[in-house]
Amino acid sequence: MEAPPVSVMPVTGGSINMMEYLLQGSVLDQALESLLHRLRGLCDNMEPETFTDHELVYLLKGQQGNPFILRARHSLSHPAAPWHLRYLGQPEVGDKGRQHALVRNCLDVSASHSLPDVLNEMGFRMDHEFVANGHVFRRGALKVVVSKLSRVLVPGNTENTERLSLSYLVELSVLAPAGQDTVSEDMRSFAEQLKPLVHLEKIDPSKQRH
Amino acid sequence: MQQREEKQLEASVDLLISRVAHLKNALNNFIYKLENEFERLAWPSVLDNFALVSGQLNTINKLLRNEKTPSFRNQVIIPLELSPDRDDELAKLTEQRVPVFSHEIVPDHLRTKPDPEVEEMEKQLSAEAARLGPEAAQKQIQTLNKLCSNLLEKLNNPREDRDPESSAIRQSKPSFNPTDTLALVGAVAFGKGLSKCRPPGPGAPGQGPMMGGGPTLQQVTIGGASGQPGKMPSSIKTNIKSASGSMHPYNR
Repeated sequence: MEAPPVSVMPVTGGSINMMEYLLQGSVLDQALESLLHRLRGLCDNMEPETFTDHELVYLLKGQQGNPFILRARHSLSHPAAPWHLRYLGQPEVGDKGRQHALVRNCLDVSASHSLPDVLNEMGFRMDHEFVANGHVFRRGALKVVVSKLSRVLVPGNTENTERLSLSYLVELSVLAPAGQDTVSEDMRSFAEQLKPLVHLEKIDPSKQRH
Repeated sequence: MQQREEKQLEASVDLLISRVAHLKNALNNFIYKLENEFERLAWPSVLDNFALVSGQLNTINKLLRNEKTPSFRNQVIIPLELSPDRDDELAKLTEQRVPVFSHEIVPDHLRTKPDPEVEEMEKQLSAEAARLGPEAAQKQIQTLNKLCSNLLEKLNNPREDRDPESSAIRQSKPSFNPTDTLALVGAVAFGKGLSKCRPPGPGAPGQGPMMGGGPTLQQVTIGGASGQPGKMPSSIKTNIKSASGSMHPYNR
């Protein structure tokens, strides 16, 4: 059996700890066009990139109760592209330099199309899935993703989806090695430029849980 | 008395020379930038240069208006000797711009009245002003003042009712809904409203992840890892060992 070509990011013992800095907000459908115009002006001059992704979130439940979460994502618009597996840690707290954005330890790898099977065999169970489609903008290291989330009505069937809400999710993120303090300042000043269209802020997911 | 005035004059002239030298340098740099780096020049830096030049002009003006500066109008410069020969010292002083102190450069450099063309224009303007009667002039002055004050008011007090369409849009259509933000973030972060066990919406978040996790408890054995998900990798290895022991995934 021939192994499909897989591009894997080398994860060796001495690898740099990458952190994801995140700010989130949302924008109503009516205001989407103005937001896209503004982003096209503010961000790097590239062809506007659209994407349609299907993300599955896998949980490994332990006896302790805090499940281990892995996110597997693949593109529905480029079916041949490899899957993307991501681990996000707990949000870092307390650092004076990073309070403006949500900071989490982040690990990204590419995987082959057999990823869901492998995760199932390993004991992960799919907790939820959704389809996201929208636009990606970049400005230097900053990445802005404006996406429309839809829930998958029949598990595994991505054709049959239903929109989650009448708003688009806007996320501003930066992937940087641990220890850089200027990143959240840059993110905050960029977020200022998107007001009053979108209010990008640090939303701690653990506080929203219940 | 005379000496004091002379000293003052000398000091103010020196100061003026240094300020003008600064201005000259700034203009030189700006011209160089415009001629050689115009592809990379951005409008903000051009504005910066203009601001610098304007600031320096301001300083010169302030210097001239200063009380300590004697009135330069009372001083007269008379050329004592003109020669068509090249004067090296003068050339050095003026950076090669005035090599000869001759009859040609005198009208330009020692001029005190405006240029002839400018003088003509000024004469025309003052003739026209004299022709205009005093009442007409007053009316024109008043209109100008009114226009200026209107404009200033509009610029200083942005009024909502000035532009009815944009104000209506701004007030009645906020571009984002905070509840939607929380709902979307919840969906992305932990599947609020997304679980396959089909809760109706964001109303039942707690049940979703728990029900999905039920079946896994039977199959997973944890090798003594701590509660933090970040330290789970050791438990994954344990799982693989137990799975390969019981399920023989590889037939070869």
